[in-house]
Amino acid sequence: MNVKSNGGLLHGTPSITIAGGVANSDSTTPDKSEASLYPTPSFTHPDLSLSSQLCVNHQRNNSAYSANVSLIDIYGADSIIELSPKKAQETETPMNANILDSLDTEEGDTTDELSVQNKVSKSFSTNRTISTSSIIPPGSVKSSDYESEMKRMLLPYPMSISKVQDILNSEFDMYGFKKETSLHVISRQRYDSWFKDYSEYLNNRQKKWELLMRANGLSVRTGQIPTRFPPKSDKVKKMIRRGIPPEWRGNAWFFYAGGYEKLNKHTGIYAQIIEDTRGLNNKDTEVIERDLNRTFPDNILFNEMVVTKLSKTSSTSFTNVENESETPMIQSLRRVLVAFSYYQPQIGYCQSLNFLAGMLLLFMDEERAFWMLVILTERIIPNVHSKDLEGVHTDQGVLMLTVKEYIPSLWSILGRTYDGEILEKDKILTRLPPVTLVTSSWFMSLFVGILPIETTLRVWDILWYEGSKTVFRVSLTVCKMCLEDPDFQRTGSSSTMGVETEQIELFQFLQNYPKCLLDPNEVVDKCFKKIGGYGFGSISQDEINHCRDFVSKQRAKMKDRKLSALNAELTDEERSILLANSNFDNEIHDVYGFHRSIMSGVVWNRNISSKMKKKFSRKHSTD
Amino acid sequence: MSDTKGKLRKYKIVFLGDQSVGKTSLITRFMYDTFDEQYAATIGIDFLLKTVYLEDNQTIRLQLWDTAGQERFRLLIPSYIRDSHVAVVCYDISNKRSFANLDKWISDVRLERGDEVLVVVVGTKSDLSNKRQVTSEEAEALCSRVGGAFFVETSTKANHNIKQLFKRIAQNLSGSSDENGVDNQAQDTAGTETIDISINTESVAPLRCC
Repeated sequence: MNVKSNGGLLHGTPSITIAGGVANSDSTTPDKSEASLYPTPSFTHPDLSLSSQLCVNHQRNNSAYSANVSLIDIYGADSIIELSPKKAQETETPMNANILDSLDTEEGDTTDELSVQNKVSKSFSTNRTISTSSIIPPGSVKSSDYESEMKRMLLPYPMSISKVQDILNSEFDMYGFKKETSLHVISRQRYDSWFKDYSEYLNNRQKKWELLMRANGLSVRTGQIPTRFPPKSDKVKKMIRRGIPPEWRGNAWFFYAGGYEKLNKHTGIYAQIIEDTRGLNNKDTEVIERDLNRTFPDNILFNEMVVTKLSKTSSTSFTNVENESETPMIQSLRRVLVAFSYYQPQIGYCQSLNFLAGMLLLFMDEERAFWMLVILTERIIPNVHSKDLEGVHTDQGVLMLTVKEYIPSLWSILGRTYDGEILEKDKILTRLPPVTLVTSSWFMSLFVGILPIETTLRVWDILWYEGSKTVFRVSLTVCKMCLEDPDFQRTGSSSTMGVETEQIELFQFLQNYPKCLLDPNEVVDKCFKKIGGYGFGSISQDEINHCRDFVSKQRAKMKDRKLSALNAELTDEERSILLANSNFDNEIHDVYGFHRSIMSGVVWNRNISSKMKKKFSRKHSTD
Repeated sequence: MSDTKGKLRKYKIVFLGDQSVGKTSLITRFMYDTFDEQYAATIGIDFLLKTVYLEDNQTIRLQLWDTAGQERFRLLIPSYIRDSHVAVVCYDISNKRSFANLDKWISDVRLERGDEVLVVVVGTKSDLSNKRQVTSEEAEALCSRVGGAFFVETSTKANHNIKQLFKRIAQNLSGSSDENGVDNQAQDTAGTETIDISINTESVAPLRCC
């Protein structure tokens, strides 16, 4: 019936399912039949309301920055769930940052939300089912190498860590990616020697998670993947930072990112969009079409050729690649991206969304992947993929300000113009340092293709739980690790080539450096540990929001001044290109001051004592 | 362009053109002499560096800037092509649209750099001749209309004209080029692999961990 359970469709039997299918075998869902893959509209569970109250730090819309996000989309559904801060305060939670965030959220949107919800469910209550046969031609997958590789991956589910030996014997990791990355950045031997240890770590984490679940009254049966998770707490946050079990990832991401709220408010809409966009042909779909096979060409689920190529000789045959059969995953990816471009016309399709959607599809079904993309682009990294890429500039401005504040020694190297001129503190935003050309893609693809797979996934675990501050914290961590690398310092000091080339060499180093960070624990520990690490966990969402707000206001101001100064004879196109250039050369802007002292903000005072208590008690613990 | 001997001369080359015309593939063939059917889409920009030895014992350092092809990334053009010496604008010979868009790419370049930049027009995927939608005559005409330095058709799959492309760029840059000597390379040089640009192993990206 469905548009989404790839695995089942793949072999035409419901017994083999990819993450999305498995995800729905939750014992608490009333209807367990294969047919009810979506949570029903009435689906609620006790923890849901609690978790949503604690998610407020993702959902602030009272800053000028997030106000740029369109709140009403073409389906009339509101994009941002606003929650009553009163309830959030009543709930006992150790997540001090969340409480602080919730204090300045405004009350009173809940009724609007309900009415919109009703409107939506009325208009889109029909036509949810789409016949399988019309979407995926049966028997489209033939290669026997491919079949056997798929079998290993799909039984009992794709990313089983129980079959360590199978994974060690394979060319592919547990997610279907080729272990050896392009240009041999990571060799298969290196991967295997790392994975041997890491698989033990994964097993230990799995056990710890099962204990955590039981302690929260959530049942965990062997071989089943939970759909409900413990409410947010310091304990859970720590568990998340140490990694979600691979099989649970999709459901946990969805749960903590507020996926259920989104899904339940928009029941049936995804299926409706799929209907509406069938055969759609426009600029976006053309671009999407060209990116489908360029998403994960080294993943077996996206490109079966990656297997057959292994058994082939090196002489490449000149067969027509376009005639090769598509994997079901490619078809899912197409539907999700087309649906998204149609649902969010202000974004449409932006390259890098393919990586985000592709990664999500490895862990959840199409409908959920679709809503996660919506959540991501509305709440977590707004405007980053919009037509003017304004969010990219904003977030790069924020990142540069944080680099200057938190890694001054790196700033003294990178905080320059192309010509090597040192950027004064009132010119950082007008003339964004060229290193942002490297770091922009970190934000657009959220480290997919930048960090190795498992490291990326560990970052995503944290991202969906803790929000956008994670991207900044991890970016700073990668930068600082890179800075401390002896090779980076050597590259920087061999300055026989003049300032500009020296900078380019450093950029190239920084660009390639994250690809080597195979051990996720190293990155996560560096990021969060206060002793032996960088302690970037102290950069709060509040700080990031303030800073984003500041940067976007400054950019708007500069844009206005620039616009009025621009020659009227220019065409719109020329003007937009001139405007897009961050070099407003002689412009200056206000100087941003970080609120690093906990005494600085007014809102902080109400909770200051409890926060201090926690701060001091935490000093004695290891983490 | 540059004259001091002994000192390593550096040039910045930016690769522009529509999405999936094969910019990354072109650069990868030149850098590592490898070919894959599919490369992951480039997001934002990729920096690559390569030292090239020319026939007259000169050494130059090339900075290759690989860019994303989707239209909205054109907004980043000014920051890409600042200080660039060469803009290699690429189209796919089997895709008329990508050829039609060359004008846009070139005007972006001219708007930012005027005549201070060498524009090179490159047709990619010349092995797909049975699907050809753009003739080499059309491209040649466009190249001279926009004041491009030269035009060449390439195939990374068949390893056709890749080294020639970079050799001609290098010759144009060093000013030592004998234009007539290489004029016919666009047509047919698949067999002749005698190229003086040697691959410098040191230039393989500085990754410390393999």
